Amino acid sequence: MRLRRSDPHTLAGAYALDALGEADRAAFERHLGGCESCRQEASSLREAAGRLAEATAVTPPARLRGQILAEAARTRQQPPPVAEGQSVPRAWLARPAAPRLAVAVAGMCMLIALGLGALTLTTQQRLRTEEAHSREIAAILNAPDADIMTIRARTHGTATVVMSHTARALVLTTARLPLLPPTECYQVWLMGPPRVRSAGLLPSPHQGMTAPVVVTGLAAGDRMGVIVEPAGGAKHPGTAAVLMLDLPPTG
Amino acid sequence: MTAELPGERPRATPAGDLAGLLAKVARGDETAFAAVYDQVGALVFGLARRVVKDPAQSEEVTQEVLLEVWRSASRFDPVQGSARSWLMTMAHRRAVDRVRSAQASAERDARAAVAATDYDVVVEEVEARLDAQRVRRCLDALTELQRESVTLAYYGGYTYREVAGLLGVAVGTVKTRMRDGLIRMRDCLGAEG
Repeated sequence: MRLRRSDPHTLAGAYALDALGEADRAAFERHLGGCESCRQEASSLREAAGRLAEATAVTPPARLRGQILAEAARTRQQPPPVAEGQSVPRAWLARPAAPRLAVAVAGMCMLIALGLGALTLTTQQRLRTEEAHSREIAAILNAPDADIMTIRARTHGTATVVMSHTARALVLTTARLPLLPPTECYQVWLMGPPRVRSAGLLPSPHQGMTAPVVVTGLAAGDRMGVIVEPAGGAKHPGTAAVLMLDLPPTG
Repeated sequence: MTAELPGERPRATPAGDLAGLLAKVARGDETAFAAVYDQVGALVFGLARRVVKDPAQSEEVTQEVLLEVWRSASRFDPVQGSARSWLMTMAHRRAVDRVRSAQASAERDARAAVAATDYDVVVEEVEARLDAQRVRRCLDALTELQRESVTLAYYGGYTYREVAGLLGVAVGTVKTRMRDGLIRMRDCLGAEG
């Protein structure tokens, strides 16, 4: 199960044929990372391997076309990769009607994105068995229509939102927002056509991250804002917004 | 079957157009996505049929692959390779993942016997096409061990270690035959256009 140190590039053929086990593939991809000529060879061998499919082409059943086009029409697309460093303006990892496996994978991604390690909760299984708050969070993370969004704060730091359209609820966490003096706090606001209302205060950060906050009762056209307010919270939103997010329409 | 798919001519559009279509798909163009399907649907489905065998599962794999194309078209980077290669890599990985799952392991031995030799049999259910003939001609130009190594991995979904076991040769030999075989395929296909 190990790569021969002498000439790892001999694996280029097996790699192009997807004939490497997990460990071999990971090792070879590390090797590719530092070897431009290997990347070129692997790419050219992939082209050749892909042509092998031409010998097996079979016209699919006609109904499959309509099925796939209809499924695409209700499937959200990923944005292009963003070049500007660590900032990820919007990463949509899960979509309605995704295959079950994809949802499970996306669920894991959400757990990672939410940095739930900070809560020492590492698996969905454990989440499910936690107290009501965590169950509420897990319900949103596991919702089949959950969308995940990561937005950069206007100051520095990021917020990650997992939103379930049908549950009209979201889970919000933040990372590396500027520390506030004790006289101030971060307050979450929902601002929509129905009315402006407070959705609670962000807890104090732990290792730079705030524990997940559940926001319920989302309405169509709501925007979510995180605004610096006096300690204890305000009745009306102030002007020192660190982030504003237009929420996708609820279903 | 072709009559049910008016306008489908997978071979008629040059590869450059596929990249152009993907750019449109990335912007949510459903018509362009339909055109992508018409170009590659038979390739993806045929490959899935070949690797996975089970028709229903092959349809599922085809659907997964095409929806992955729809979702991630914006991630296609022409600098890394052709659109066709990007797409077929996705298709092959999906198909291979399917057969390597635990449930499929029972059927693996049954597939072993046929995987290496029946690529020309499958073609019988296919419209005879120039590309298919060219690929078979280039496959025929490989040494037997190269051809078996390449086809067991690509059409059979086996790892190179499994291929070594099936062929009763050293893993190092299989590694190099796969690479040499693909290099020869590349040069042969490149020379024939």
